[in-house]
Amino acid sequence: MNLYLTDGSEEGFFTAAFRACTDADCVVTSARNVQLAAGAELIDVQTDAERCERVRRFLRRYDARSLGEISLLLRRGCATKEMTALGYLRLIVQRRAPVRDMLAHPAVLEAMSEIKKVTQEAHRFKGFLRFMECSNGIYYAPFEPDNDVLELLFPHFARRFAAMPFAIHDVARQKAMLSDGRRRMLVHTEEKVDIPLSEGEQTMQALWKEYYASVNIAQRPHEKQMKGYMPVRYWKFLPEKQEEPKRPQ
Amino acid sequence: MIDAERLKILTESAKYDVSCSSSGSARANKAGGIGNGYAAGICHSFTPDGRCISLLKILLSNRCSYNCLYCPNRADADVPRASATPEELCELVMAFYKRNYIEGLFLSSAVERSPDYTMERMTDAVIRLRKVYNFNGYIHLKGIPHADRRLVSRAARYVDRMSYNIELPSEKSLLLLAPQKSKESVLLPMKQLAEEKREDMEAKKHTVLPAGQTTQMIVGASPETDSQILRLSEAMYRRFSLKRVYYSAYVPVVRHASLPDKCTGLLREHRLYQADWLMRFYGFSAEEIAPDGENLPEAYDPKCAWALRNMQLFPVEVNTAPLEMLLRVPGIGTMGAYRILKARKFASLDFADLAKMRIVLKRAKHFITCGGKFCGAGSDASVRTLLALGSREETYEQLSLFSTPELAASALTGQL
Repeated sequence: MNLYLTDGSEEGFFTAAFRACTDADCVVTSARNVQLAAGAELIDVQTDAERCERVRRFLRRYDARSLGEISLLLRRGCATKEMTALGYLRLIVQRRAPVRDMLAHPAVLEAMSEIKKVTQEAHRFKGFLRFMECSNGIYYAPFEPDNDVLELLFPHFARRFAAMPFAIHDVARQKAMLSDGRRRMLVHTEEKVDIPLSEGEQTMQALWKEYYASVNIAQRPHEKQMKGYMPVRYWKFLPEKQEEPKRPQ
Repeated sequence: MIDAERLKILTESAKYDVSCSSSGSARANKAGGIGNGYAAGICHSFTPDGRCISLLKILLSNRCSYNCLYCPNRADADVPRASATPEELCELVMAFYKRNYIEGLFLSSAVERSPDYTMERMTDAVIRLRKVYNFNGYIHLKGIPHADRRLVSRAARYVDRMSYNIELPSEKSLLLLAPQKSKESVLLPMKQLAEEKREDMEAKKHTVLPAGQTTQMIVGASPETDSQILRLSEAMYRRFSLKRVYYSAYVPVVRHASLPDKCTGLLREHRLYQADWLMRFYGFSAEEIAPDGENLPEAYDPKCAWALRNMQLFPVEVNTAPLEMLLRVPGIGTMGAYRILKARKFASLDFADLAKMRIVLKRAKHFITCGGKFCGAGSDASVRTLLALGSREETYEQLSLFSTPELAASALTGQL
């Protein structure tokens, strides 16, 4: 059995897929902490532009849309994402046609449900992302998504806040995207970033908390539904879900 | 900036309005402006009552000259009063929007001084947002009954959605509980706006209410049956091309002899919403869902109840049934029906396939066949018992080590 270890990039995956596609019981992964099974051979995949392009050309020919789908699959935050993508890719190779509507096929089912997890999270953060006004006038939003959705999310805010300087920071993956109204860029960051907030920021957060508390109808509690729509793991960066600091009477 | 105390009063007065959706408008951001519409709508937070926060839902003022019995802000009520200036409101909207707390503004107001005065101040606030603050996010504006029709037309050109609350499901109840409002004061502006939007669409200008109109009514404060309520909704969907009708289970905030002193069950509200969805997305008519003079049954969802009344139409064959019929199978939703249509082009589907495709078979299995095979209960009576709310299917089976793998898989999904 072969184990292809990639660098986690799309190019790395397609390079590995070039061989792995017909390598029946192999494993492709980018997880650094993989357990090597007895008798398995580790292949450290070096990105190869030509092989990568040949796989992509094949996909463009038989199902161009699948390129976007595989790109989404590889944004999943789990160790088996490459295998899901490979299963989907193999089926396209085998049938030489789009397979996304074969919804009773296990490989398609898995691919579609994994894609959904990525796009759903990207959509959720369009709502759950919270910006803070910094003392230099930039609006800064830290978050920790399960999947690598920063690049999917950014265009939405770039349209919305076209005339406003802002930064979105994926704290766990240590990268941020910035826009100053004209230019956009992607930067790698330290684990902890210390950013001084503007004078009015605490006041606005307090007003927002006041609003959040007032708009609730206490006679109709339904906490389970709230947590279903807004999972607790996303609360970390929501001002309205932080404990109220003790205010002097 | 508005202070916390007034924000609290003006929010608490607005919170019983159900509508919160920010969908239907794809208003683009303008150069140098801030905000845009997002057609699918975005929820920004959820409160412990399970409702979403999408828009900043607030009153401009809760000083009301009307005396609607059910309303906590009615003129006679002894509650703290407050109002905000249009300028204060704009500042708050912008500050919240830039932090991505909200998708836009839902502005309502008590009738302060006169309907025209109120409508003018509300219109002033939204025009200021659009022109002075260059705000292109979502705005939902509540219409004030009896306000001048020219004011209403003007406002409609700046906002994404407007709504007049029909409040109660019949003229009689409205007269009894909201004496200063009349059926005409609500329906005429709705009709006027529907016509203006139609003309605007025909002229391809798309400036009037891109997200259309909605309305809301209180359920359970007056004696109307669900069938009456659904017929009213159906008529309004047809005549005014409404986007949504919201139903709000009555919560007694005010005690009065003409009002019930108990909350209306949330289940009734839920059943009405289910029925409403059936009318809008599943091709059902109000007549089919709730026979004349009846309430929706609580034990079954309305689609299931309809199917149980029409057992002669079932079971349908999943691999050949047309979309319209798949949509009528209890347990199969719009997404499920479309998934079946796609998947069955490649291979004939069996029950295990449906389970894998996450089609919920708990109800559906009694109404479908897969390749001629039927897996439901034998008689209509047992289907009824099995599907009634609260009944559990106690049909567990001890799996043996020698069970076939397919059986084991289906046992995991809990189906078959």
